[in-house]
Amino acid sequence: MNTAPSQRAGAAGSADAVAPPVRAADWYRRKRTREAMLVACFLLPSLMIFFLYRILPLGWNVILSFEYWSPLKAARFAGLDNYAEMFLEDDVFWQALTNTLIFILASPIAILLALAVALAVNSDLKGAAIYRTIIFLSYPLMSVAVGIVWRWLYDERGGFINFVLRGTGLIKEPIPFLQSFGWALPSVILADIWQVVGFYMIILLTGLQSIPQHLYEAARIDGAPASARFLRITLPMLRPSLFICAVIGILNSFTAFDLVYVMTGGGPAHATELLVTHIYNMGFGETRFDYAAALTVVQFTLLVILTFLANRAVGGNAGSVESA
Amino acid sequence: MRRRSHILRHLVMALVCALMLIPFYWVAKTAVTNENIYAYPPRILPLKPHLYNFVDVWYLIPFARYFANSVIVSLIAVAGNIVFNAAAGYALTKNFAGKRIVVLLFLSCMLIPFQATIIPAYLVSARLGVLNSYLGLALPLLSTIVCIFVFKAAFEAIPASLQQAARIDGLGELRILFRIMLPLAKPAIATNIILSFIWSWNAFLWPLIITRDVTMQTLPLGLARFLAYVEDTTGALYAFVCMVLLPGIIVFLMAQKEFIRGLTSGATKG
Amino acid sequence: MSTRAILTSRFFVVPAIAIATLIAWNLYVAAHAHGEVSGKVVRADGAPARGATVILYERNLTSHFLEKTRTTTDAAGEFRFKDNRSHQIRLDTIGPDGRQGQPRILRLWFAAQDVDLRRPLVVSPSKN
Repeated sequence: MNTAPSQRAGAAGSADAVAPPVRAADWYRRKRTREAMLVACFLLPSLMIFFLYRILPLGWNVILSFEYWSPLKAARFAGLDNYAEMFLEDDVFWQALTNTLIFILASPIAILLALAVALAVNSDLKGAAIYRTIIFLSYPLMSVAVGIVWRWLYDERGGFINFVLRGTGLIKEPIPFLQSFGWALPSVILADIWQVVGFYMIILLTGLQSIPQHLYEAARIDGAPASARFLRITLPMLRPSLFICAVIGILNSFTAFDLVYVMTGGGPAHATELLVTHIYNMGFGETRFDYAAALTVVQFTLLVILTFLANRAVGGNAGSVESA
Repeated sequence: MRRRSHILRHLVMALVCALMLIPFYWVAKTAVTNENIYAYPPRILPLKPHLYNFVDVWYLIPFARYFANSVIVSLIAVAGNIVFNAAAGYALTKNFAGKRIVVLLFLSCMLIPFQATIIPAYLVSARLGVLNSYLGLALPLLSTIVCIFVFKAAFEAIPASLQQAARIDGLGELRILFRIMLPLAKPAIATNIILSFIWSWNAFLWPLIITRDVTMQTLPLGLARFLAYVEDTTGALYAFVCMVLLPGIIVFLMAQKEFIRGLTSGATKG
Repeated sequence: MSTRAILTSRFFVVPAIAIATLIAWNLYVAAHAHGEVSGKVVRADGAPARGATVILYERNLTSHFLEKTRTTTDAAGEFRFKDNRSHQIRLDTIGPDGRQGQPRILRLWFAAQDVDLRRPLVVSPSKN
């Protein structure tokens, strides 16, 4: 941008900047504006993207949710009609809401599993890095592919799970997991846990490794048993990590769209319908953008409330906004 | 005592790892199976394994097209991420009016899942006229908040004296960024590349919404489409799954360290 | 970072190997995709079957085989197709006496791969 030589001493950003030699005040002001320009130019692209695809949509959702609107018709104020329809008439919404809550409430299971694994991997175990890699491997993979993998595992005839259950004599007849009303949701949740458990583990491992060792040594000298060390030191110190895991679990009810779409498509009879799949179906299946926006508002509110509750549950300001 | 607990833990971990790996094995096995994959009982080891299912997939679907689309979108996203995030991260190391607000804005944007914005995001893209285009596919992925903070942290770790020395030598801000800051922030760049690549490579819902033509579809869409219209008794679908998963696994194994660093640095930022 | 360090890093080596393999494979395919299918037809006793008809079927997307072309064997029992475009074909034989031989399904590594059958096709199999 500016390659003019000299006169660049003392950036405002560096705390221990050397005091610039006394110069004309207008030069100083020019330098200030130049730096402000630079900051603005550097921030602008990112801010634009987040404005266009995060902040603006959030507001637009709220506006749309109070309107009758479709791509070809002019908007008309609808008051609370969309919400009234959702809460009073839309059975699928209630089903999807319940399923979403079940989905979120299942994440503590995954977090506990991940905690156990993280504790085992965190110690001086040989080959811990290999275990960690294998357990984490499923997380960065394409969810669509993972969904197809699990669909196949649940298959009635060629699937591994039915094969094992029948082979060990636990069941006589194959269970059509993804086609049965009762089994479909737990099956999808299991697949989801399989995919994200490695992520929880990594977060918890980072948390474990940030606990100062001297706390444990002091406790050991005091003769505290392992269980007490875990309850008094490990768990309290892990609270920020556990909070992050909880938030990921809540956000997961959004990101599980890929898995559900591929594994069951929301079926059978909406047994695995999540709010996010319902939003997609309403918006892009039936082109009811206004109603889908109202659904989104409800789900986002749910997300904020649950995040707030999770924050309270781990004792206040864990993971609060860090002062920049 | 200690030894025994170690052996026990190894056993447990081996079991957990086996559970994590079985799905991969089952799909890989199905992909090379010769006979009807629905035959019961399924074989644990395929009888006469062969790779012709992969050949079938190649000719059944425009795999190269999907792959190329995915690569193009990912490249755009990765390039955008490096440029925009590095710039934003560098800007955030400066002091300026409203910095707190910007940081707060970024942090709160992190809580908005992209899936919660699909309807307006689609409308925004429609207004911008980028529906069904590579740019439209990549646009929401062009900058990532986590990565901005990764860059910010990396830049802040560079001793301020280096920057000052450069300023005294008469280097401009851009030159300082390119000559001094970026070369010293290589781990941050690597983290950025890997995170943005994996996210754009795996993205499904957004491409599903904004692509209309088969020629613009990316790999995940191709996979979902293939699933919808092929009811086959050969392992072709699973061969396709393997072809899709393999690049992801290789990239992950290559850059595991950077990937985990990126995820956890984002996580510790709340 | 020196050029040497870049060239030996796994981020360079792995993609380089992948791209090199891809190029090599495509060159190989380009050199071997003439669609030539050749082989020999013999009788049950092993003698070359002269004047036998060989029919080439191509597999289409719905896993059916459709007849593409046919030819007859020469005095040595040999035949040659020059225009196979498929990656999965079936060869049927009809002996000079009108009896059908065992069909043979060939799966190729790429469309129009040149193949030379190692095991000859057999017409008038001894067991009927």
